[in-house]
Amino acid sequence: MNHSTLLTDTNDPLVVEAVAQLDSWRAVVVPSREIARAIGHDRGLRAVYVTAESPPTLREIVECAHAKGLPVIVGCKDDAARRRAIELRAEEWLRLPTDAEEIAGRVRSAVMRQLPGDAPNGDRAERAEQAQMLYDFMTGLPTLPVMIERMRPQIKERGELVVVYFNFVRYSKIEEIYGWEKLDAVLETTAAGVKEFLDGHSMQASRVMVSYTNDDDFIFFHVPPAGEARASEQQITTLVGRLQEHVAQRIEVAHGEDIAALFEIYVGLARVYYNPKLRIERLIYRGIREAATAAKSVEERERARRVDDLRTSLRDRAVYVDYHPIVVATTQQIFGYEALARGVMRSLRSPEVMFDVAAEADMIWELSRLCRSRAIEGIETRLGPGELLFINVDPHDFADPAFTEAEVKDPSRVVIEITERTAIKDYPKFRERLKAFRALGYRFAVDDAGSGYAGLGSIANLEPDFIKLDISLINAIDSNFIKQNLVESMVKFANDHGAQVIAEGVERSEEFETVKALGVHLVQGFFLHRPITAPTSGVIAVSPGA
Amino acid sequence: MDTLPPILVVDDNHDNAEIIRQYLEVRGYPITVAYSGDEALAVFEQVKPALVLLDVMMPGRDGWETCRLMKQHPTLGRKIRIVMVTALDEWSDKREALQTGADDYVEKPFDLPKLALTVQRNLAMLTAAS
Repeated sequence: MNHSTLLTDTNDPLVVEAVAQLDSWRAVVVPSREIARAIGHDRGLRAVYVTAESPPTLREIVECAHAKGLPVIVGCKDDAARRRAIELRAEEWLRLPTDAEEIAGRVRSAVMRQLPGDAPNGDRAERAEQAQMLYDFMTGLPTLPVMIERMRPQIKERGELVVVYFNFVRYSKIEEIYGWEKLDAVLETTAAGVKEFLDGHSMQASRVMVSYTNDDDFIFFHVPPAGEARASEQQITTLVGRLQEHVAQRIEVAHGEDIAALFEIYVGLARVYYNPKLRIERLIYRGIREAATAAKSVEERERARRVDDLRTSLRDRAVYVDYHPIVVATTQQIFGYEALARGVMRSLRSPEVMFDVAAEADMIWELSRLCRSRAIEGIETRLGPGELLFINVDPHDFADPAFTEAEVKDPSRVVIEITERTAIKDYPKFRERLKAFRALGYRFAVDDAGSGYAGLGSIANLEPDFIKLDISLINAIDSNFIKQNLVESMVKFANDHGAQVIAEGVERSEEFETVKALGVHLVQGFFLHRPITAPTSGVIAVSPGA
Repeated sequence: MDTLPPILVVDDNHDNAEIIRQYLEVRGYPITVAYSGDEALAVFEQVKPALVLLDVMMPGRDGWETCRLMKQHPTLGRKIRIVMVTALDEWSDKREALQTGADDYVEKPFDLPKLALTVQRNLAMLTAAS
């Protein structure tokens, strides 16, 4: 009868006891220093159990064993030994003292682990990668391959499946403006909202999943449970409407109005009928495509409606201005206000959305003119003495012949914010225009500074009076030292060039304290003030900081 | 006895890794060393590090990729601090680092006392958060 051999360096009688519990095993004991050499001499050798403490000896043993495809179990006297065992990627380790059962168990599982392949090391990493592809790490929702397998029997049994496709449109915009951490958080809220909604609903038998990991579209399968009638079109439409509302509300509560305004869901439906001649996967993929197309066409209809809304708004001059205070970091005194133009119509409330719609409909200049004139109206009537008005101007607006230096009575009250996000094509010409404005007393701010990879050079080109840091750099800056380093270098750069740095998007006291400590001059954000909708007349009243 | 939080040191240069190990071990930190991104990911769940010192330039899976994968771990990802061991000179390098989820960096070649301070300030963020 062939025995399996456990090679070991310990005389511990527990090993003999452990071996007795295994089927046809025997133990061979040799001193630690000789184990490496002994490996390869015994043809029945199946595993190595070592308690050696010396790191070089242990390393040699593990390397020899792995070279022969043998698993190693390490008995560890302390945590340092345990760490070494993990580091060397021993198949198993155990803490000493132990008992015979544990030794036997570890030997068994070490051998099992070693069985299928000769590459035990990459294995765990690979499995982790696979798990990542099957479940979306952010939302914890399963991905398509998992769901198809789970639903297969139900689809066969019920003969049909409803595919609902959720297209979350502005998500990428959130990432662009606020950075990926924010989008992650919003996605998490969304998934939680969807789950919460379905749990409390009769369609809870349905399954939700993501189409691709890390993507922002969700798919939802509904197979009517056995014995129940399938949901009617009407029921599903109602459900989807309520779901939209629920999720939107959750996002507004968790992340505020500005982010909620950037968020839309378009939904498409498709029904898939089981056909034994066709592969279920193919049927489902086809259904998903169909539902996605349907969602797309809803989106297009919605866009067309928005363009109409914008036309009406331009005709009626239905744009108002919110004033978002900018304060001096050290004193929290009001320094000025950023004018945020918003559509009166609910669908155009968010400035980002409004300008996106204008871009689609080729009405950018017209909208910009209206927003500018609305903002400028406020300088004399709304602002306190000495306070500045920051207005957003797209670099393209400088090409608009109607945008002239003479637009404002007192240009020294105006700071023109130019975003770093838009690439400027003709730099020399652009700088000529800026010069003309500057000569009259206008000042300039680079908005979203540091959002790209361009760095400080492109900022220097514009010779700004103010540098407005990109929101993504401020978000959670208190716990990220790389962000702190970036902001610090920006402050130094500004001080060297006679400019002032503005941190916007300051939402928490920790963020405020951090940017203040880094020498940021001016601060804007919900932690201090929310944007103020000005009264129809009179100066804006600002209550002291939060 | 391990009272300080565990640290995973990832560097393909064995000498560098040993220098860091010895310096930090003397200060009481439980150290595990991995010599590649793949090795680091393989032992990641067993070590459950509070902090990872991650070399950027490694053959195979580099530090950025390893950082991104660790930060995406469903349960451990949120609890770790990742310190990149590299010189991030350019603005774009640092933006890149932010994109992968890194929390801090130490320049290479590093001076060890500075490394210890960097470790300390990052672990302090963890205690503050919990």
